[in-house]
Amino acid sequence: MTAAGGLEKSYRRLLRWYPALYRHRHEEEILGVLMSAARPGQRRPGARESADLVWSALKIRIRMAARRADSRPWAAALALTAMLLPLLMVLLKLTLFLDRGVQYGFGSPADILIGAYGEPGSFARSFQLNSYSIAFTGNVTDALTAGPVPALALAGLVCLGWRRAAAAFAAFVPLAFLAISLTNGYTLLAAPRVDVTLYAYGLEALVLLIAPSAPRGWHALRWRPSALLAAATVAAAIGMNGGLRSLLPARPVNPTALRLRLLRDPRLFRDYLARIPHGFIDRLFGIGAGGWGDWLLYQGTLVAVIIVALTIMLVSSAANRRVVALLGFPFALGAVIYLCTLTNPPLPGAAGNALIAIPVLLILLAAMAFVLANSRPADPDSPSHPAAPAA
Amino acid sequence: MSERPLHEPTFLMLTALAKGPQHGYGIITDVEQISGGRVRLRAGTLYAALDRVVAEGLVEADRDEVVDGRLRRYYRLTQRGDDRLAAEVARLQHNAAVAAGRLEVRRRAFGGLA
Repeated sequence: MTAAGGLEKSYRRLLRWYPALYRHRHEEEILGVLMSAARPGQRRPGARESADLVWSALKIRIRMAARRADSRPWAAALALTAMLLPLLMVLLKLTLFLDRGVQYGFGSPADILIGAYGEPGSFARSFQLNSYSIAFTGNVTDALTAGPVPALALAGLVCLGWRRAAAAFAAFVPLAFLAISLTNGYTLLAAPRVDVTLYAYGLEALVLLIAPSAPRGWHALRWRPSALLAAATVAAAIGMNGGLRSLLPARPVNPTALRLRLLRDPRLFRDYLARIPHGFIDRLFGIGAGGWGDWLLYQGTLVAVIIVALTIMLVSSAANRRVVALLGFPFALGAVIYLCTLTNPPLPGAAGNALIAIPVLLILLAAMAFVLANSRPADPDSPSHPAAPAA
Repeated sequence: MSERPLHEPTFLMLTALAKGPQHGYGIITDVEQISGGRVRLRAGTLYAALDRVVAEGLVEADRDEVVDGRLRRYYRLTQRGDDRLAAEVARLQHNAAVAAGRLEVRRRAFGGLA
């Protein structure tokens, strides 16, 4: 191989650091410049030249990734996320409402308002003063997190395409909850389901704020298959919940006899699981005093509904595969934040647990910083990079 | 709102293109000449800078040529790039005039004291 041939091959190897699209447009011309600038008889690229090419390639990669954030796939992904989150929240509330309502009764409209599904009269009872907080505060915070009204209102605003109103409302719910809880020394923030709800509202506010284009409302989904599949998800979740409940009777078990009888009676295996000591792993999976049975009934159903509903809605949406892949990031982030919050044990008594509020506050602050830093509206239809003439 | 000052390699690159359309290697040699040999752009730096100014609409591709089997893509200054370079020249001239004026005053003062 000649010196020039070897040098060209080395340069081509270095140019592989550039993004494929950029290389397709510019590889031959950059190679021409590199070969023109090479010393006579040069066999290999110099160290500084190599570092310069690699560093520039990384810069181009970052820039192209940033430009793609303003392009249509990201806009579609964010619009779809903004649409899906409130619908999922409504879906979860509806599942819980129907499941508990069928088993215990639906209660009064006021009970439903504060999300006290299956606990008739709890709204009236909660007006009694207690040692932690006045009951009115409890009702407001319950209505914000457990109640169905905020989720329905948010879903309505998003479906209508009222982006700013929806963003303001989504930010208001966790902030109001935090303000009430912290000023009253209320320990509601310690509950894992509250983390999920606050996170969902915070994430929705973030998505609505950073979306480069307005949500497209119903147009983001193919609504007929989505509605059908969502209804099937609710039915499946209720079936799982009720079915599991009947399979998990709480009764005392003799551990010695259990070992001998485990294989003969699978129900005893679940009883055995319910008595595993509680530690970090238990908290990780949101297992409280009720043991693994409660996890299967509540957290298991919650996770299953989220996964199934997300999958069916995404599959039935008009968005392409890339959009679906991009959507994984915010939900992965949510999972990480959720798991992190579970590692912070709640503070005792009336002090409240401000630690769990930190992820939500970080999300909102990041959203504000992003909006302030990018006050110039992006035009998703403008080309991210003027096309160079064909070679 | 006033725009940010151009980095020197970008300023020199736009200055090179102010003469007329040039290909990548031509820009490198011209920049070296303009700067009196002080600035020699490497290919990676040049194309990273070109990518930015093309995205900002200051420069655009002009034409392609094949010389000795190698592709040469020529770039030219756009009207926006022309305006941007003119604004930068005015800014530098203003700063230079102020600096020169103050230096002259200072030297007179020190000359008077000496």
